[in-house]
Amino acid sequence: MNWIFLQVKNPITDVSSAGSYLPIAIQLIFAVLFIAAMMGLTHWLGPKRNTADKLENFASGIESHGDARQPMAIKYFLVAILFVLFDVEVIFFYPYAVNFRQLGWEGFFAVLMFVGFFLAGFFYIIKKGALNWED
Amino acid sequence: MSKIVALVPLLPLLGFLINGLLRKQLSKTAAGIIGSGTVLGAFIISVLLFIDVRNGKTGVVEFFPFISFDTVKIPFAFLVDQLTAIYLLIITGVGFLIHVYSTAYMHDEEAPHFARYFAYLNLFVFSMLLLVLGANYVIMFIGWEGVGLCSYLLIGYWFKNPQYNNAAKKAFVMNRIGDLGFLLAVFWLLAKLSTVTYGEVFSADAIKALSQTDITIITLLFFVAATGKSAQIPLYTWLPDAMAGPTPVSALIHAATMVTAGIYLVARTNILFSMAETTQHVIAWIGVATALLAATIAVKQNDIKKVLAYSTVSQLGYMFLALGMGAYTAAVFHVMTHAFFKALLFLGSGSVIHAMGGEQDIRKMGGLAKHMKITYFTFLIGCLAIAGVPMFSGFFSKDAILLSAYEHNKIIWGIALLVAALTTFYMFRLLFLTFKGSFRGTEEQQHHLHESPRAMTIPLIILGVLSIVGGYISVPEVFVAGGDKLGQFLAPIIPLHTHAVSHMEEYALMGGTTLLVAIVIVFAWNKYKTYKEETNGAFGNLLENKWYVDELYNTIIVKPINWLAGFIENVLERSGIDAIVNGVGRAVQYSSRQLRLLQSGQVGSYVLLMIAGMVLLFVLQFFLKK
Amino acid sequence: MNAIIFSAIFGVVMMFSGVFFSSKQLIRNLAIGLMAALLVLNAAELQGYGLFDINLNNMLHFTSFGLVFNCIAFAATFIYLLLSARDIEQVGVNLAEYFALIFFILCGVGIATSFNSLLMLFLAIEIISIPLYILTGSDKRNLKSNEASLKYFLMGAFSTGIMLMGIALIYGATGTFSLDAIATATKGFETLLTGGLLLLLIAMSFKVSAAPFHFWTPDVYDGAPTVFTSFMATIVKAAIFAAFIKLFEKAYLPSVASWKAALTFIIVATLFIGNITAVFQQSVKRMLAYSSIAQAGFMLFALFGYSDFGKEGILLYAAAYSAATIGIFAILLKMSDYTFDGYNGLAKREPVLAFVNTIFLLSLAGIPLTAGFFAKYYMLVAAVKSGASLWLVIFAVLCAAVSVYYYFRVIQAMYFKTATTEDVTTAPVTINFKVILIVLAAIIVLLGLFPHWLFTKVYF
Repeated sequence: MNWIFLQVKNPITDVSSAGSYLPIAIQLIFAVLFIAAMMGLTHWLGPKRNTADKLENFASGIESHGDARQPMAIKYFLVAILFVLFDVEVIFFYPYAVNFRQLGWEGFFAVLMFVGFFLAGFFYIIKKGALNWED
Repeated sequence: MSKIVALVPLLPLLGFLINGLLRKQLSKTAAGIIGSGTVLGAFIISVLLFIDVRNGKTGVVEFFPFISFDTVKIPFAFLVDQLTAIYLLIITGVGFLIHVYSTAYMHDEEAPHFARYFAYLNLFVFSMLLLVLGANYVIMFIGWEGVGLCSYLLIGYWFKNPQYNNAAKKAFVMNRIGDLGFLLAVFWLLAKLSTVTYGEVFSADAIKALSQTDITIITLLFFVAATGKSAQIPLYTWLPDAMAGPTPVSALIHAATMVTAGIYLVARTNILFSMAETTQHVIAWIGVATALLAATIAVKQNDIKKVLAYSTVSQLGYMFLALGMGAYTAAVFHVMTHAFFKALLFLGSGSVIHAMGGEQDIRKMGGLAKHMKITYFTFLIGCLAIAGVPMFSGFFSKDAILLSAYEHNKIIWGIALLVAALTTFYMFRLLFLTFKGSFRGTEEQQHHLHESPRAMTIPLIILGVLSIVGGYISVPEVFVAGGDKLGQFLAPIIPLHTHAVSHMEEYALMGGTTLLVAIVIVFAWNKYKTYKEETNGAFGNLLENKWYVDELYNTIIVKPINWLAGFIENVLERSGIDAIVNGVGRAVQYSSRQLRLLQSGQVGSYVLLMIAGMVLLFVLQFFLKK
Repeated sequence: MNAIIFSAIFGVVMMFSGVFFSSKQLIRNLAIGLMAALLVLNAAELQGYGLFDINLNNMLHFTSFGLVFNCIAFAATFIYLLLSARDIEQVGVNLAEYFALIFFILCGVGIATSFNSLLMLFLAIEIISIPLYILTGSDKRNLKSNEASLKYFLMGAFSTGIMLMGIALIYGATGTFSLDAIATATKGFETLLTGGLLLLLIAMSFKVSAAPFHFWTPDVYDGAPTVFTSFMATIVKAAIFAAFIKLFEKAYLPSVASWKAALTFIIVATLFIGNITAVFQQSVKRMLAYSSIAQAGFMLFALFGYSDFGKEGILLYAAAYSAATIGIFAILLKMSDYTFDGYNGLAKREPVLAFVNTIFLLSLAGIPLTAGFFAKYYMLVAAVKSGASLWLVIFAVLCAAVSVYYYFRVIQAMYFKTATTEDVTTAPVTINFKVILIVLAAIIVLLGLFPHWLFTKVYF
């Protein structure tokens, strides 16, 4: 019964052999089959009653109007990208928080430098007026 | 040997640079002084060197490595020995006199051209000195080419006259043919011996390394070079045309120095030449043939300078005849005496032309002796010397050559004797037609007749004296035991040889020659003391037109080459090479136009092409590799 | 280390200078001053005065070769700024940012010449590339500039993907990013390693615009503001070559024989496409783009015939090519018309410009007495010494002959043609501009006479 649980009697020791990738392949096939099966099932089992309202694009309950492909103010992107930038950089604090004690003063100064550059960037975008919504 | 020897060529070079670069600023006087002064300086140093050499101080002076590759080392070095010392004296001595003479002769030129003339002349002296001073054939070749260039520049000095330019070109082309021989000989030496330094080439080891064929070919090639520079058959035709240049140039370059470079080359290489019997025969026969041919032509020439030019060719033939006999000393001796009397004759003719206001036709002269006593007198000395009248320098040198000819080959001796008679005849014809009888020029010219200024007459007088006493440095043994000072002086370079001719025979030969010369002079006097219009026979016409050699060359060489060049230009060049060259260009243009289309501007197609390239590289790296 | 840290700091300084100063002249002079300082600091490290001693875990390795290369790149940038700083002002309003981006690129250059780990290589290439995408599109109102920027970005991202894939495969095969370890990788994963190296080779070929991965080059060089094209085509390209040769030395050299076929293919394609396509161009700017592809083909010979000789050669080539191309672009910037006809009669209007331009072009064509001649000579000798088949070398020489055609077209236009219309003009140039160009030309001629002068500092 070992094969059911993907247990091999004689484990392959050579990691580069294709055999060691077998479990991954089985997993892949299983995933694809599972999704296909589920989609097929819902399709087959579920009832189908089409109305005009139901065929509308779902937009969180708000009535949609016009074309989505409209020019938008660059400011949205700017704010979005700045948000992502600063948000991602904050991630670096997590590893530091975990290793706070071990890294000691040296680590502290390194992070201080990081924060320094960080603030410089913040200062720069404010000075440049990137966050000014009104012109 | 000290490095001071470098000054000998450097002084004229300095003169050349000053005169050449500042020709627009310099006055005529300054240019003349610089031109003559530098040569005088070179002459003084040459005299000091000569004294050194007489005391046995000879040697090689190395300056810097000139060319070195592989095992071949060619230094920039000068060799000062007996032969060089004599040449140095001739070049700088006669050169100086001619420079002085030129200051007066060229006085009508404008200042920049006057300076240009002296610049060329100085450059010539520099090149000639390099030629004789060089310690190897390559340095000699530099000088060899340099004198060729100067000769070209000076023949075409009056460059506004297209005929003169043609003469200059002719001289240059003829010389180049000879130079090719020189180059090939040097290459041959390099290939066989890996050296071109005299001392090494003439060493016993080197000679052993050369086969008889090598020696014959090398010497023949050198002789080809000599025929170009020294105007021998078949390359002699440029020299008479070279008279287009100013008369002092004819005297210096085309009589006294440059044209004797060929003799220098052969004398310098005498060790090789003595070992090549075939070459010796060729040289002797070509020499004597040239002497005869030129002498016959000279008889019928009416241009005062043309007569002298052919006489020069004839005398050079004489020298080669001597070289062919192995009588190198005699040849060098004749070079020296010839330098004196031929320079004298040319300068004398220059003086005459000067007086006649540019007229060169002797039929329009006559009776000039009354007006120009010094010129006449010195010209007479020159004629006596070249004719070989006893007590004059030509007698001794000609006698030495005739003696060696008599000793080796009676036929050549016979022809040489005939040439001597012809020489006497045309020289005295020239003398009598020019200076005796009545004046046949225009009234205006007659009023104008005058003796030349002192700057011209003094060189004439000095050369006149030299033409007399120059012969006494090599008096035949029969007169004075040990009289052959020149032969003894040159002995380290040219082995002495003794004549196997008894004293009685020698006296008889001299007597015979002298008698012949005397008879011819009397004959010429009778024929030309009064001028008569002459009508030529068929043979006379043939001579007056120089045996039609120029026309012959034109037909068998120039025209076929022109035709071939035309053929190559029209057929090979136009439809062959041009087509290929343009075709390549068009092919590139075409492929450029097509390849350009790959650059469509669509990122999609770019990426597609890149993927294709990647696939190709993968295939190449993983499947096609080896 | 000096170069990397200070160029980054100077970049930040330049960013803030735009915030605090409004005088363009001040910003420009500050940039030039900082550039000179950077050059001095790098030279100081070459002399042994490194200011930092940081434990880098062997990720960076500073060699004299890399430092000399930095010197060449920084000196070239310095001259570039002297010549073209005014033209940078013309591009747009964010003057300080342009300078800042240039400094950031130089930071990337510093890493590219000293990396010892594939991670650092990736970082270097990205630090160089991203500011370039921005600079390419800096002329915001120009559609061509926008298009070029987008194309560059798309294709650059594509090649970055390939590079990362290659690095990943190499990591898979060796378990390390360290270059030293790749060279001594254990057996067993040859296919994986070769595949990774091949992808890396392709990505690097893309960056140096070698065929068949060159397609971005003409469009981007043509579309970018000319003053930035000059920077891209010279300093950046040379720096990536420095990285390439360093990578090659460590990663490819152990199995160099198996790479000859791929390299030969790339070299031949690059030389052929670069040279042949340049022939038909009508715009000098676009011709220079193709010429930069062709020159890259020659520089690839340094990899093909890798040796000390080839390494010296690539230094000389980088210097010669950068100097000449910067000069040509500086003059091109003064022309109102970028076609060949725009150069008509330049010799009459601006004899000095025409003369130095001639020297630059001669150098690019590889005519003796200019640095370009010895640069090409070193490349070919390196190839011959490494046993390149003769036809490859002959092919390269023939391509160089073709290049004479399109380089000389400019000379011909300058000297032998007269301007037909009145509106062909040249912007007025200052005396300083001319003097710097003459100095640049003098450097090229001096390097053409004494190429060894450049190598005295390199003890490999």
